[in-house]
Amino acid sequence: MAGSVIVITSGKGGVGKTTTSANIGTALAHMGNKVVLIDTDIGLRNLDLLLGLENRIVYTIVDVVEERCKLKQALVKDKKNPNLCLLAAAQTRDKSAVDADQLKDICEKLKKDFDYVLVDCPAGIEQGFQNAVAGANEAIVVTTPEMSAIRDADRIIGLLESKEGVEKYRLLVNRVRPKLEKENAIMGVDDVVEILSCDLIGFVPEDTNIITSTNKGEPVVNDEKSLAGQAYINIAKRIMGEEVPFLDIDTPVGIIEKIKNFFMKKA
Amino acid sequence: MYDNEFFVVDMASCSSTGEIINSLSLALETLNHSGKRIVLKLNESYLNQSQLLSIQSLITSYGCTLDTIETINPETAAVAEGMNILVQKPIEKRVEPKEENQENKKGEFEPFSINVENKHDIIALKDVNGLHFEADLDAIQKQQDSINISSDLKQAGIPSRSDFNEIEEHISSQYTKPEEIITKVEEFAKITSPQLNIESSINENENIEDFGNVEKNSIGVYKKAYDETQIEADQWEEVDFYETPTFDPVVSDSKNTTYVNQTLRSGQILESEGNVVIIGDCHPGSEIRAIGDITVWGVLSGIAHAGCKGNINAKVRALKLNAVQLRIGNCYSRRPDGSNIPYIIRSSIFTPEEARVVDGEIMLFKINQN
Repeated sequence: MAGSVIVITSGKGGVGKTTTSANIGTALAHMGNKVVLIDTDIGLRNLDLLLGLENRIVYTIVDVVEERCKLKQALVKDKKNPNLCLLAAAQTRDKSAVDADQLKDICEKLKKDFDYVLVDCPAGIEQGFQNAVAGANEAIVVTTPEMSAIRDADRIIGLLESKEGVEKYRLLVNRVRPKLEKENAIMGVDDVVEILSCDLIGFVPEDTNIITSTNKGEPVVNDEKSLAGQAYINIAKRIMGEEVPFLDIDTPVGIIEKIKNFFMKKA
Repeated sequence: MYDNEFFVVDMASCSSTGEIINSLSLALETLNHSGKRIVLKLNESYLNQSQLLSIQSLITSYGCTLDTIETINPETAAVAEGMNILVQKPIEKRVEPKEENQENKKGEFEPFSINVENKHDIIALKDVNGLHFEADLDAIQKQQDSINISSDLKQAGIPSRSDFNEIEEHISSQYTKPEEIITKVEEFAKITSPQLNIESSINENENIEDFGNVEKNSIGVYKKAYDETQIEADQWEEVDFYETPTFDPVVSDSKNTTYVNQTLRSGQILESEGNVVIIGDCHPGSEIRAIGDITVWGVLSGIAHAGCKGNINAKVRALKLNAVQLRIGNCYSRRPDGSNIPYIIRSSIFTPEEARVVDGEIMLFKINQN
């Protein structure tokens, strides 16, 4: 069975593509899938850092393309989960070191042995984006509820539609702040979906745990208490085809509420 | 006052530690003083313990020992005494070749001739960047009459390549065997992506193996990079992960040394066919590859590959060795997990360390502080 190649893209930088890739990848691997993450952000790699695999990288995607090593040698296995692998980007080169056909070739090869090939796309719509999208048959467009991110996402969706091979694309709204949303200070998830008229795969609430997890090199899905981690797990389930209701983040969780819930559960 | 075993370095005119270190390494580099006991004249300047430690390890790396510090600053004196270094009050008398200075003020070079002071057998060499370094008589007499050194090194104590060339020309013209001193510079270093300025590269005559005085107390093993990292072979067809690269070992015969006076940033690669000395930090994401040894005068947190053509005896040294990966010859090793916080480890306490291959594994050793 050939796995699916999913590209995680956004157009705008800093909306959370890499964080999303790391967390969805880890979540999918936890659920028993064989997952490989490809970092295509050559020259500005970060995915290795988020997974805490920085010190294990010897060969990179550029070494594979330039035939200094075999593809399988370049795959770095995750510390905790043997189902998860990383194909790292080279830090000392730039996007032009790899072209779209070569990346497509790599995706085709990996598809045979892995259930999910997640491609972390760099920001922008230049060579890096073209490379990342080349082998994909599915896309996740990450955006935040801000006008600039939405406009870039719109552009990306337009490019994806015109791209052959990408069968479906879904929207992920990142850094949702329900409190501000209620005060009508920012756009809500529904507004974003309406503007972009695109299927929603899920949204992820703003979570400060993300920052600490990035610094520690451990994806937030490993943290059961984290709301963002929960959201990513749900998204991973949706990728696998499960029907999962969207996360309810509207319920205010105060001390009284928590105590109530505690006793309710016991009873 | 001091006999031939001593080498007196006058740093009284230096204002910052960086200046002192630059001047000192220049002084030690220019003449062969292996085995000498160094007397540092610091006069007023204040140095804290870590600064003194850096200076001490610099001196140690040239095969000398820091014996005495002359200072009038009580704080520096206290720190030095705490480190078991002799402290003395400076003596006013100084050999000043005043006449020569005046005569040659207009000239490009400021020559100094040997003034023998009978009692002490010390000659004052004046000056590189405002520092006098005094050398013992024996070493100088071998070097014929007088030597001219460029006085044109005013800025920040960093010698530029042209200055070095000038010094070389003027020194070597005085010697009978010019190749024994500093010979013509040949550039070996190659740096890719954003170009770095290579300040100078000089041929080194010192035997590099005697470079550091290393104690045998291991402070931690850099684990092998390839034990748990790669996919197990049974999941795939038979592939040897990290098959040991086959090299024809190339030992850096020429022993040329590249000096890089700048911080290596992420994505920059420094390649050299000899040894590399970096005055500055190496940030995560940077890479150094050298056929010979690598010495980082700062924090090393990138990838360092010493002996990259198969010389397993190559070494990596740094004031703070926090490298993501260390590679020596065909041995690869990685930083232990959990210490993955390169930006947080930023204390002022430096432990100079050296990485070597012991029984096929890369081990870190503390560089002896004595």
